[in-house]
Amino acid sequence: MTDPPAIELRGLSKRYGSGEGSVLALDRVNLSITKGTVFGLLGPNGAGKTTLIKVLTGISDVTEGEGSVAGFDIRRQSLEVRARIGWVAAEVILDDDFSGWENLWLQAKLQSLTGWEDRAHQLLDYFSLADRAKDKVGHYSTGMRKKLEIALALLHQPSVIFMDEPTIGLDVGTRRMLWDIVTGIHREFGVTVLLTTHYIEEADALCDRVAIIDEGRIIAEGSPSELKARVKADLVQLETSDGVDVRALSDLPGVQEVRSQGNEWVIRVASSEEFLPRLFARVPTDHIRRISVEKPSLETVFLDLTGRRIGQDEPMRDVRKFYMQMRRARQ
Amino acid sequence: MRSQFWGLFVREILRTFRNPFVLLITVVQPFMWLAFFGSSFGNVSPVYLKGLFGTTNYIEFLLPGVLSTSMLSVGMFGSMSTIQDKRFGFMKRILITPTSKEIIFLSKALGSATRGLVQIPVMVVAAVAFGVSFGLSPLEWAAWIAGLFCLAIGFSSLFLAITAPSTDWQTPGVVSNFITMPLMFASASMFSSSQFPAWMQAISNVNPITFSALLGRSFVLGRPIPWEYLGYLAVFAVGMLAIGYFVSARWLRVE
Repeated sequence: MTDPPAIELRGLSKRYGSGEGSVLALDRVNLSITKGTVFGLLGPNGAGKTTLIKVLTGISDVTEGEGSVAGFDIRRQSLEVRARIGWVAAEVILDDDFSGWENLWLQAKLQSLTGWEDRAHQLLDYFSLADRAKDKVGHYSTGMRKKLEIALALLHQPSVIFMDEPTIGLDVGTRRMLWDIVTGIHREFGVTVLLTTHYIEEADALCDRVAIIDEGRIIAEGSPSELKARVKADLVQLETSDGVDVRALSDLPGVQEVRSQGNEWVIRVASSEEFLPRLFARVPTDHIRRISVEKPSLETVFLDLTGRRIGQDEPMRDVRKFYMQMRRARQ
Repeated sequence: MRSQFWGLFVREILRTFRNPFVLLITVVQPFMWLAFFGSSFGNVSPVYLKGLFGTTNYIEFLLPGVLSTSMLSVGMFGSMSTIQDKRFGFMKRILITPTSKEIIFLSKALGSATRGLVQIPVMVVAAVAFGVSFGLSPLEWAAWIAGLFCLAIGFSSLFLAITAPSTDWQTPGVVSNFITMPLMFASASMFSSSQFPAWMQAISNVNPITFSALLGRSFVLGRPIPWEYLGYLAVFAVGMLAIGYFVSARWLRVE
């Protein structure tokens, strides 16, 4: 008999507000996350990642649909769910007036734990915080604070840990350290991790499986290699000074699709190595302002599915439009 | 449930006593009332004071009133910790544990009231320095403190009920200030309400601050003790606790 999933969602929707001004933040999300995996939820800002975590942790109500975490219904058994989950926020949330040990003490009280001290010592040792346990966490470095937050999330031996953009705003070194921690806690404590991120390389490096979320909908799911295999193409992004002849480009051998994206063209080709010489033969190189080639990655999966990049939201497009106009004005 | 309540209650208390500035203000503010406001009748003739306040030492009259209004301020400041917890995400951290909203409310209300009690010994010592003498029996001390505690619980609950549903950090503060001012002045905390106009007397007659001030004054000035006022304050505390409990359970919002 197979284990029930750590997280299961069926047609889960979340709408903020009502009437005309309402926002559908999650749109009939279906998801099944196997126990013991590191599952990534990858999507741009505003895609619905944090909303999904809020709904799963009981912070927000479900508008429609069903869901369970650690075998308990998120609507009807919220307290049971909350006793079995840990949470690591995007911004570190600790009581700065308390020491590391006192933060653990408070967490133990909130989880109604008894005999938690041994576990707390074990976690402090694991995260190399034992020497600073009696210091106020207000005096900790960002990395130490993040470690302590993860220790709090693990104190009650949860089945599932939610990590909501855990590396956002961290420097490269601390981010790498956190990646090691995520891999380590998954291995050492056997906990299921649901991690949201908009960093492609993070999802690729850490996650056994990834779901891509956009505008509240799960648009693809699989292991990183499965998702990348879906693209089966290289993406060539081209920006020229005077447009391109779409038909001529489409007729080039190996071209699967030519798509306009603002002032750029995204050309999906079977092999960029074979395509580029043909392109340069067709388009004078002095007309090419910018060209880039991307091999299959989670970024190209997202680009392929949505026509946008993960970090490319509306204001960014406006900035690019602005610079484009400035450049034209100078010419 | 007890464990969660204890954890949050201790957190409320420790946060106050570890913040030297908050502690200083909590202690100094009522003392300043006594020093500045209490001295404002310093040059008034004792005969006039006796006629007006029933004592020649205005601070003797003022002390129970100032302690009562302090419970109002303590309640208001206590509710601000809810706003702070929401703003810095700590409320979310609490609620992603099996801690109920009711427990959060109760721990904050009791924590806030307990902080209020700290002011009592400080004020009593200060009043002695200003020439007030206390001849209270242990029962009278206990009744006076119990009345103040009921008042603090009641106001803490009221202000927590105001802040619980709000996601905005400014509105509850403005609403609380709006309530605080009339409650403080339309009470017998600083003056005898017999000199108020009729409409203010009507407010003062149902204002719990008046009941607490008159109860305390009866102990300090050796007047007949209106024990029923203690009952009124207990009803006020229980009523406000019930309202705060219900509002928090239903409408406490995380962000």
